[in-house]
Amino acid sequence: MTTSSYAIELRQLRKSFGSVEVLKDVSLAARKGEVISLIGSSGSGKSTLLRCINLLENPTAGEILLNGETLLLRKGKSGLEAANRRQAERFRSKLGMVFQSFNLWQHMTVLQNVMEGPVRVLKRTKADVHKEAVALLERVGLGEKLYAYPSQMSGGQQQRAAIARALAMQPDVMLFDEPTSALDPELVGEVLQVIRALADEGRTMLLVTHEMRFAREVSDRVIYLHNGQIEEEGTPDQLFGNPKSDRCRTFVSSIHS
Amino acid sequence: MVWDWLPEYAPRFVEGISITLQLLGLSIFFGMMLAIPIGLVQVTGPWPLAWLARAFCTVIRGTPLLIQLWLIYYGLGSLFPFIPGIRESMFWPILRDAFPYAVFAFTLSVAGYEGEIMRGAFKGVPKGELEAARAIGMTPFQVLRRVWLPRALQNVFPTLAGEFILTLKATPLAATITVFEVYGIGTIVRQETYRIYEPLLFVAAIYVFLTICLVVFFRFLENRRALPRI
Ligand SMILES: Nc1ncnc2c1ncn2[C@@H]1O[C@H](COP(=O)(O)OP(=O)(O)OP(=O)(O)O)[C@@H](O)[C@H]1O
Ligand SMILES: [Mg+2]
Repeated sequence: MTTSSYAIELRQLRKSFGSVEVLKDVSLAARKGEVISLIGSSGSGKSTLLRCINLLENPTAGEILLNGETLLLRKGKSGLEAANRRQAERFRSKLGMVFQSFNLWQHMTVLQNVMEGPVRVLKRTKADVHKEAVALLERVGLGEKLYAYPSQMSGGQQQRAAIARALAMQPDVMLFDEPTSALDPELVGEVLQVIRALADEGRTMLLVTHEMRFAREVSDRVIYLHNGQIEEEGTPDQLFGNPKSDRCRTFVSSIHS
Repeated sequence: MVWDWLPEYAPRFVEGISITLQLLGLSIFFGMMLAIPIGLVQVTGPWPLAWLARAFCTVIRGTPLLIQLWLIYYGLGSLFPFIPGIRESMFWPILRDAFPYAVFAFTLSVAGYEGEIMRGAFKGVPKGELEAARAIGMTPFQVLRRVWLPRALQNVFPTLAGEFILTLKATPLAATITVFEVYGIGTIVRQETYRIYEPLLFVAAIYVFLTICLVVFFRFLENRRALPRI
């Protein structure tokens, strides 16, 4: 196994739905501790890109590496599928995914949601995990909500619980797909605050977001995706302050408002 | 009204209740063991299995339970004796008894109706929750065991409870193949005492009682799981 300074690396990733090519040759690499924001208009392929990384979507072509280890893929019906199911499951357990719609398991309490992965997937003992899960939930401000069900909580609380659930797996990379887009405006701040803390403690993150100001503040690098291609990338100051491509300039200024 | 026969027949009714509950319990258990995969394959495929499951549900739901019961008892039951050596085998006492045929028929019935309900239940679980389970690294079986199945059951639990109570009230059909459950005992009483209404009233009262017990039991299960109302 090669050692790599990249936590996550995508090489020439392609994805088609039928005859529509949604990702066209996307390559990107995130160093350990790097925070990369993905921006782009609706339909540009941001979600698809994140979902290909943990094989929720099967890419059509390309390579995915986690800490220098190549994810083994083979041709299948819907594109490239995991060649080794166990390896794919191990990859997934190291990639913490946070969804736009939270996707907490509704039949479990918040605490059970957080404990589920470490206990079932990582096979750790409940007693061990329990302490950690409580600490995590306290960290995201849900210490009072351990035994609440997702349906009894606000969107902001649910998203913070979902972040705690992902963190409980001690992932190497966090993947956020518009974590605040489904929230009422007054609840966005509390979730961004949690994500900012994660960025500050040096986690590797890929963040799809429409919160431009936030992206500018927390990111080391910003990537502008257009029609399934990386149209421009650079530091936040470059990309927001002085975008080279006209499309990116238009997009950034239209959202900045 | 004349009730003097009751003390004499009370023990037999107790036996009848026991038979009724065994028939119901076993059919629900085995029926659900079939209904879960029958519902699941219709959502996941592969299509030949999905098609088979669909056909099974359609046939079961499209024919009267009484006919199924008779086909299984008189049809299947009359074939077995032709198998060489079966009368000497250890299975013969079971095969000669009507009760297993009733369990088999009711199991298929539960599988057919509840298979259809489970199909909808599996389909109704939000895709995002399943994706979250996969994304965290669960195996396909873990996704099913930890998220998909419990979520599906949670959604249809009240519907299933209602179905099981309907099944209870179909159990008198088993009396037509000489399974002496509650109604069967009632028939014996009517024949032996020449009383017409009282045994029927008594049998009806037993079913009301059993129904209430089941309702309370299912409500207890529902609350014990502390299901959040969504
Ligand atoms: N399962 C699917 N089947 C067919 N087409 C799809 C599927 N998922 C996504 N697409 C298409 O792929 C393109 C990219 O979608 P994607 O969800 O990745 O965009 P996005 O950048 O995340 O947009 P948004 O900002 O609206 O979330 C869109 O044109 C979409 O219609
Ligand atoms: Mg998206």
